[in-house]
Amino acid sequence: MTAFTRIVLWACASAALPLFAQPAVAMNAWPQDPPKEEVQQPPVEEVEEAEPEEVQEAEEEAAPKKSAPSPYLAVVGGDVYTVTRGVIAGGTVLCKNNRILKVGQNIQVPEGARVIDAVGMRVYPGLVAVNSRGIIRGNGTEARDSFDPFNLMVDLGLASGLTTVQSSLAIGKLTRGTLEGHLLATADWVNLSLSGSSPSSKRKLRAQMDEAREYLRQLRDAELAQKLGEKDVKMPDEKKAPQEHLGLLTGERMARFNASNAKDLLAICEFLEEYPMKSVIFGGLEAWTYASRLGRVGASVVVTPRQKRWADENLNRESGWSIENARILWEHGVEVVILPSQTSISLGGLAGRDLMNLPMEAAFAIRGGLPQDAALRAVTINAAHILGVADRIGSIEPGKDADLIICNGDLFDYRTFVEWAVVNGREVYDKQRATYFAHIRPRPETEPTTPLETLVEVLDDMDETDSKSQDVDVPEVEPQDG
Amino acid sequence: MLVELLLSALPVALPQEGDDPVGRATIYHLDSIETLNGDALSNASILVRDGIIERIGASLMVPEHAKVVDLRGTGATAMPPLVVSHASFFPSESRGRGRYGQYRAVDAVHPDEESLQELRELGVLFVGVDPPGSGIPGRTSVLRSDSKNFLDDAVVRDLHLKLSIDMSKTAKELLRKALEDGDKAIEKEKKAFVDWEKARKEWKEKQEAKKKAEAEAAKNGKAEDKPATSAQEGKGGNGDKGKNGDGKEEKAPSETFEAPKMDPSLTPIVEWIRKERVAHIWLDSPGEWLHWKEIIGERELAWEVVLYHTTSTNFHEVVEDIAKSGVRVYAPSRISFLPSTRVRNNLPLVLTQAGVKNLVLMPTSPNNVQAVKDWRVGLSDLVREGLDRNAVLKAISIEPAKAIGQEETVAPLTAGGPATFVITDGDPLNPFSEVVYMVASGEVLYDREKDKEN
Repeated sequence: MTAFTRIVLWACASAALPLFAQPAVAMNAWPQDPPKEEVQQPPVEEVEEAEPEEVQEAEEEAAPKKSAPSPYLAVVGGDVYTVTRGVIAGGTVLCKNNRILKVGQNIQVPEGARVIDAVGMRVYPGLVAVNSRGIIRGNGTEARDSFDPFNLMVDLGLASGLTTVQSSLAIGKLTRGTLEGHLLATADWVNLSLSGSSPSSKRKLRAQMDEAREYLRQLRDAELAQKLGEKDVKMPDEKKAPQEHLGLLTGERMARFNASNAKDLLAICEFLEEYPMKSVIFGGLEAWTYASRLGRVGASVVVTPRQKRWADENLNRESGWSIENARILWEHGVEVVILPSQTSISLGGLAGRDLMNLPMEAAFAIRGGLPQDAALRAVTINAAHILGVADRIGSIEPGKDADLIICNGDLFDYRTFVEWAVVNGREVYDKQRATYFAHIRPRPETEPTTPLETLVEVLDDMDETDSKSQDVDVPEVEPQDG
Repeated sequence: MLVELLLSALPVALPQEGDDPVGRATIYHLDSIETLNGDALSNASILVRDGIIERIGASLMVPEHAKVVDLRGTGATAMPPLVVSHASFFPSESRGRGRYGQYRAVDAVHPDEESLQELRELGVLFVGVDPPGSGIPGRTSVLRSDSKNFLDDAVVRDLHLKLSIDMSKTAKELLRKALEDGDKAIEKEKKAFVDWEKARKEWKEKQEAKKKAEAEAAKNGKAEDKPATSAQEGKGGNGDKGKNGDGKEEKAPSETFEAPKMDPSLTPIVEWIRKERVAHIWLDSPGEWLHWKEIIGERELAWEVVLYHTTSTNFHEVVEDIAKSGVRVYAPSRISFLPSTRVRNNLPLVLTQAGVKNLVLMPTSPNNVQAVKDWRVGLSDLVREGLDRNAVLKAISIEPAKAIGQEETVAPLTAGGPATFVITDGDPLNPFSEVVYMVASGEVLYDREKDKEN
């Protein structure tokens, strides 16, 4: 599919959609293209120019970190998997306070910065787990009061690459050792059910959607009449409109469905065709059988690649599980998020199928044909997107939260360990000092000052050739999945 | 006669029963004395007179008529008596989480003689008794182990304010609200005081003006001055125009300030905010430490921290922060494990290494007197795994005594100090050692031999 064809199709699809839901659906329709917020982002250089203000604001907001001698943290020399801007070989991620300041090669590290020597390693954004259980507690804004930043689960979560988890309504970061910056946002899903609910419930849902749509229509007409100079225009009463459903139609909120079998997925597709809105479907075991339709309605699908159900031979259509589920959905433009079957961190039970093995779950999707970069999106930016926090986390970009993991190999390789985790610009996990992991293939000891000193020397040499500016040029990187 | 002469020549005299003159001395000959004021003394004696240690050291002369208790050769070791800083093992009323600041432990706890007897047998002289419940359960009281009736015999009825927290919005909200309400109550009182002062000042001015006017009227004897005087009174009063002007209907503000009535559950919170009372915050995980710090924020309050944990803990994560706070720390006397491991963790040692100065060691559980019985087991583990022995002895006696305001009774054993000590038949930290005597201000509270006879 050429870019031109996509644009034409996008235009057609947008025109066919009702006025009120255009932004929501258009955003999700083409996951090969960067999501809306990424498209709208200015080029890297411009972002960097805007960055100091943002960082300053962040500094003002953030509580003073007395223990931190320098506000800078630099991850130096690793291959940086930005997710949205490709891979920067031997790159540096420079963080200031809780944000990423610069990303690229040849970045000068300020004196006194905490330096993580990532040479030979891979740097990824922290992984994002939706629907988690047992890592953070509480609900919505209460989560902060219930968060135990020294909990074993936080340690194990970080060791597994997780830096943000959603539990119930709370989206919280694994800010080990501090409460500061824990609560990222509150999930704003509207739970809708079409599977298993009674016909009257379904009728009621449609009636509410129609009511909300009618309100929006009346509002549009009234506003138009006001613009045309009509007097005594009567505005519709917003209080009478069902608020949740209104939010869905205006694209301010996202619908959440649970559906695994094809019949239920079909019902959701029909509903979304009638009422376009941002939506996420959890389960999606047979989603591959309606991949194209799900792609057209712009639904995101949370899948568990290893979840199995045998095909029903009595049906005259495809059914059951497929290891290619994620790949097929992705090919049809569905935003895929990956989740293991057990969404807690398990110290027993189904070992290997819990949140400690999120990358392994994604590796099974890769085995089914999902490109590796799409799998990385599925556990980072896509998960952030369905949580409504993709502007903060899920990729390595200047201005975003400094949530990083540094791995000693490919994230999806079964031998890989997380060596460091950084959350909000703070080093919160170091395998070498982790009670449960330090003894496993310890990394070679290095002189603590050597990397920075060496780097500064190298950079000083490089600066001699371009001494006019200390600002770093972040290389233009083509998105791999574009 | 010869025998009598020989006996009097011996440095050690036998106790002479029945002879009990006022000011009579008792000398205890011991194998060792942990004075907790420098080095321990070997083969030394304590001479007690009138409840005071008259002399302490080796080769003391035995005064005439002194009662002699010779325990040499039995491993007898004296040290200041033990103090249990926090106890919840006495029968008490049942109370859940809430704001019960109005209660003292003496109001809700009923010490049983059996537990008190066990405390005496274990060499415990004082025990800090906690009110039941959680959140803001009330105020602690202090009891001596020879008490009979708690309410009457309590050494201190109203001491620390006990607070507890867990990682829930409800628990944090309870404390936040208490502080907010306390602030409001203080503000209300301040405003009432300002109003009272103003009213007093106005009243005084008015009275003076009245006297002056009356004096002038008397002096001039002119009838036309009278209306002016009345007008002046009306101006300074509370708008009570139309009154007869003699001030009888106006009520004078009280001469002393009467603070507005306060919710009794809030009173100790207000005292705490005013730094008139120390609060004890009970925490069972390092996360709770962070939540606690968040609640108090930048407030300067008097508080101490009770690190209450079971067999595993990762409190070591915040020890530096705890040390930096400079507060007194109470910790269970046990080797704990890092969570979900069998990696041994000597938290009291880690605390002292981090710079905690005022460490108090508690039995492993405040809820069971059995934990007091097993105290020496935990203490010996701590010493074996690195904690300084002398620091441990202090942390179970003179340090908790300071914490509950009994430092004048339980103090290092020195000449001139209180004759309050406990004698064990071996190293006081040896789990097999037993208490032989407990002496408080010269009086024997516990005598193992007599106790056995009974």
